[in-house]
Amino acid sequence: MLEVFVFIISGTLAASTPLIYAAMGELVCEKSGMLNLGIEGMMATGAAAGFVLVATTGSHSVGFFGGMICAMGLSLIYAILTVLLNANQVASGLATGILGLGVSSAIGKKYEGTTVTPLADLPLGPLADIPVLGESIFQLDAMVYLSILLVVAVWYVINRTKLGLLIRAIGEAPEYAHSQGLPVRLVRMCCVAFGGAMAGIGGAYLSTAYTPLWAEGMIAGRGWIVVALTVFGTWVVPRVAFGAYLFGVISLLELSIQAFGVNLPSQILSALPYVITILMLAAISRNVTFIRMNSPASLGQSFSP
Amino acid sequence: MKLSRLIMLPVLALAMMAGPAAAEKLKIGFIYPSPVGDVGWAAELDTGRKAIEAHFGDKVETVFVENVPEGPDAQRIMNQMAATGAKMIMLGSFGYMNDGLRLAQQRPDMTFIHASGYKLADNFGNFQSRNYESSYVVGMAAGYVTKSDTVGVVAAYAIPEVVGMINTFTLGLQRTNPDATVKVVWLNSWFNPSKAQESARSLMAQNADVIYSLYQDTPSVVTVAEEEGVYVINTSSDMKAYAPKMLLASQIADWRSYFIEQVQATIDGNFKGTAFWGGMADKTVDVRSFSSDLTSDQQAELNKVMDSIRSGSFHPLTGPVVDQDGTERLAAGVSIADNDMLGINWLVKGVETRIPQ
Repeated sequence: MLEVFVFIISGTLAASTPLIYAAMGELVCEKSGMLNLGIEGMMATGAAAGFVLVATTGSHSVGFFGGMICAMGLSLIYAILTVLLNANQVASGLATGILGLGVSSAIGKKYEGTTVTPLADLPLGPLADIPVLGESIFQLDAMVYLSILLVVAVWYVINRTKLGLLIRAIGEAPEYAHSQGLPVRLVRMCCVAFGGAMAGIGGAYLSTAYTPLWAEGMIAGRGWIVVALTVFGTWVVPRVAFGAYLFGVISLLELSIQAFGVNLPSQILSALPYVITILMLAAISRNVTFIRMNSPASLGQSFSP
Repeated sequence: MKLSRLIMLPVLALAMMAGPAAAEKLKIGFIYPSPVGDVGWAAELDTGRKAIEAHFGDKVETVFVENVPEGPDAQRIMNQMAATGAKMIMLGSFGYMNDGLRLAQQRPDMTFIHASGYKLADNFGNFQSRNYESSYVVGMAAGYVTKSDTVGVVAAYAIPEVVGMINTFTLGLQRTNPDATVKVVWLNSWFNPSKAQESARSLMAQNADVIYSLYQDTPSVVTVAEEEGVYVINTSSDMKAYAPKMLLASQIADWRSYFIEQVQATIDGNFKGTAFWGGMADKTVDVRSFSSDLTSDQQAELNKVMDSIRSGSFHPLTGPVVDQDGTERLAAGVSIADNDMLGINWLVKGVETRIPQ
């Protein structure tokens, strides 16, 4: 029983990590008014590039860095289309996403079905020796701990710094921000690039640490979950993070319940993570005024100075 | 002028001779539902394609398209193959059936072989493997090595083929270890490597010390098992390379001889659309890479059972067989009929998980 508990806690932290990275990136991106629907493709590109680099160089740092750069490059295509050329954000995002899926399959072609050594665990000194808790929380890999720091950092930057204020102002009223002499297009491009980079890291985590293998289509819809989490989490950092962990824990509970032999139709169980996450997030964000306060008013709208 | 004409003549003659010869070269198209990797379903089909090339050499030309979604894309690709001179097409996924059959009816001059379907025509045959035979054998092996008497199965969908394999696996397991039980996690997906790994870990967390990776195309489950030091059995491809220490055995399906036969029939003009259900007897189904942790006595027993399946003297699903509810499904000495096997929708006693309804 204890083993199941450890499996669920440690598994949740790891399973949610790719979602956390990509969702934090998407949140910053959307806060600036940019709706990037290409996350799935960017995660796939990050996953493929990261995997190939780890497979060839053996270094996970190189893999994460390369995955991040490749996905960021892809997000810049989206940024050029939408920010500089004022193309429709929805259509451009979808197109870049599809392009990303194609790019990922081209990059990973020769590596289809192969594996790499997973990212090593990093036990946190004496904390790792605490019974049960140590095994479930303090014996994970470095990227899991970094993802938690990322949540804190994104929350801090968005809510407590001048940069955060700048991003929020631009997402709220780009024309007004522009008239105040703020660099709307530059900030938006940077936010999109950050979103792409984080999606790349999330993808690379999936292919080199969580499931250390490359198989085309392995992102399996996580990019879409990220987009949904950001919206249902009403652009509030702790809620989006909570949604990601909730999704992770329910996906793992589903499998444990099945393995226990509980007599519930597995199709319903498979749908549970989606249903519960959406219901929970919808329930905690019922307040319309609160949603309006947090949603970037210019989301999805193009801006030309 | 004269000189050039002199040179041209033999060239023309050669070209004319080469013309009909080139036309006789049989062009064969292959359509796979997933990318061809080192291992997995598409890789096994592609091994069959390569065997055709090796066997027929210049007499055939093969083309393949991988990762083709079922539906309009598949239809377009098979039509294109037909338009560019393919005279034979191998359809590698169940969902290609209706489009393939329609094309077969329009083009009686072509032949088709289709994986895992049930529809037939004069020029449209299908092929399946009796993997339930090898499932029994690997189940016995699992029974030998399990210490916790709990075996976990990571299964794709609860289709009859998979249900049948879990049944014979469990019967084999109980033959060598009557106390052992089986837990199943249904993925409800053909392809989700992360979920497959999570499932394997969740089964291990519940004491399973042998994991049966049933129709996972990627080495997802196998690598987790190697990492955690838990025995693993794999389906469709030999994945020894991914789990050199912990792989207990691999169940494989080998389409080479069937493919070669069908190509020969097409060349000879006597192709018949038949339903091929290959098993251990014709070497379509086999078990490879038994772990060296099995003792020589155990290995000998496994070989004996495999021989009896090959010779037809033993059917893995033979009564007395009782299902999960305790109802007797097969009386003592009665083997399941092929038709019942194709539609099997109950699990034997000893499997703790239910079939999703």
